[in-house]
Amino acid sequence: HCFLSCKVAEGTRKLDVAKLSTLLRQLKADRQRRCQQQSHVCQHILTYLQGQTRGVDSAEISDRFQSAGVRLDHDALQDIIRFLLLTFRSGGKSNISGDELVSKLEEGSNKWSKASLQVLHKLWSEHGALVHTQQDVQAMLSIGQLVDMQWKLGMAVSSDSCRSLNSPYVTLLLKIVEPSGQICQRSFEMTVPQFQNFHKQFKEIAAVMETV
Amino acid sequence: MADVDAAKSLSGLLNGIAQKVYYNNSDITEELLKTELYPELPQEEFRALHEKMKGLLKSIATADMDHAQLEAFLTAQTKKQGGGGVSAEQAAALSRFWKSQRIRVRESLLAQSRWEPSLRGLSWRVDLQTATSRGDAAHSGPVALMELELGKVGQDSEFVCLEFDEANINQVLKKMAEIQESIDRIVHRT
Repeated sequence: HCFLSCKVAEGTRKLDVAKLSTLLRQLKADRQRRCQQQSHVCQHILTYLQGQTRGVDSAEISDRFQSAGVRLDHDALQDIIRFLLLTFRSGGKSNISGDELVSKLEEGSNKWSKASLQVLHKLWSEHGALVHTQQDVQAMLSIGQLVDMQWKLGMAVSSDSCRSLNSPYVTLLLKIVEPSGQICQRSFEMTVPQFQNFHKQFKEIAAVMETV
Repeated sequence: MADVDAAKSLSGLLNGIAQKVYYNNSDITEELLKTELYPELPQEEFRALHEKMKGLLKSIATADMDHAQLEAFLTAQTKKQGGGGVSAEQAAALSRFWKSQRIRVRESLLAQSRWEPSLRGLSWRVDLQTATSRGDAAHSGPVALMELELGKVGQDSEFVCLEFDEANINQVLKKMAEIQESIDRIVHRT
């Protein structure tokens, strides 16, 4: 597999669509499977734009592909998602039809496969109107929001430089939805005192919010 | 007089070794230590002394010895025949050093074995949203803005900015209470 990376220039919205559609073509040699996968990614994004989920989790999409036996370059997937988010968002703003969407895409590049365009046409015809109405209602994020927080309590027992560490620590995994709608992950470690201070800060914030 | 000087030099040597090995002070070199502390000592002898003290310090630090273990260890070292043992003065210097530096060395070792990003800083403020261009009142109310400073050992910090409404904060507090519960259960057992 040869995974190409696409560059998306925000603002002008021009990108190397040729590379993108080539990439989509390489997702799976089997055309039907490819359409299924492309459809899956699009639906995930449309579901978010319709206000039904909190963000587009590329990790989740990637996991699903992996269990189906498809290795997908993570950066390439992010680029696809970014491109589709832009396309669907602007389509929703202008409230265009499925036909208009396909013409727009074909204008951008002649490398789109018939099958890809059919998938996009079908999905947009079904969901485009709802995306349009949701645009008015959904407030745009200015910075990230926490979507999920997972935690782990561990004990560092021993290391090559110290045989008896005996040190408990807390690891947090934060899932954050960015203004673009994409979900990213951040993890970090804290000692127990650090965690307790962190906890204390949150309690203070809650107290302040109550009085405001 | 000479004894006090010898003790001082030895303390200096141990501190110098700790600076280099545990406290990431790259200014301290073997040559510097020799020049400052043992100018008269022949090169070979200094090297041997330096290596011996470094080795002993490492053994003590790796095992994170408590008082009893340290005394037993040093006693065994003084009883060693030939060039491998330590003198009573050296044992005393090591004992003094470890008593005062144990915690600091241990923290350094802990930090060295931490490879995930750690939380370096946290700042926050609470805003009250009064109006938006869309005119919807659905999101009015207090909003907490938080900036987390994260970084791995030896790397620059990364800043993560987040906003929370009251519901979000309460969800997080709930999780944190779970974490604290786990800590209370497990940490008190050790």
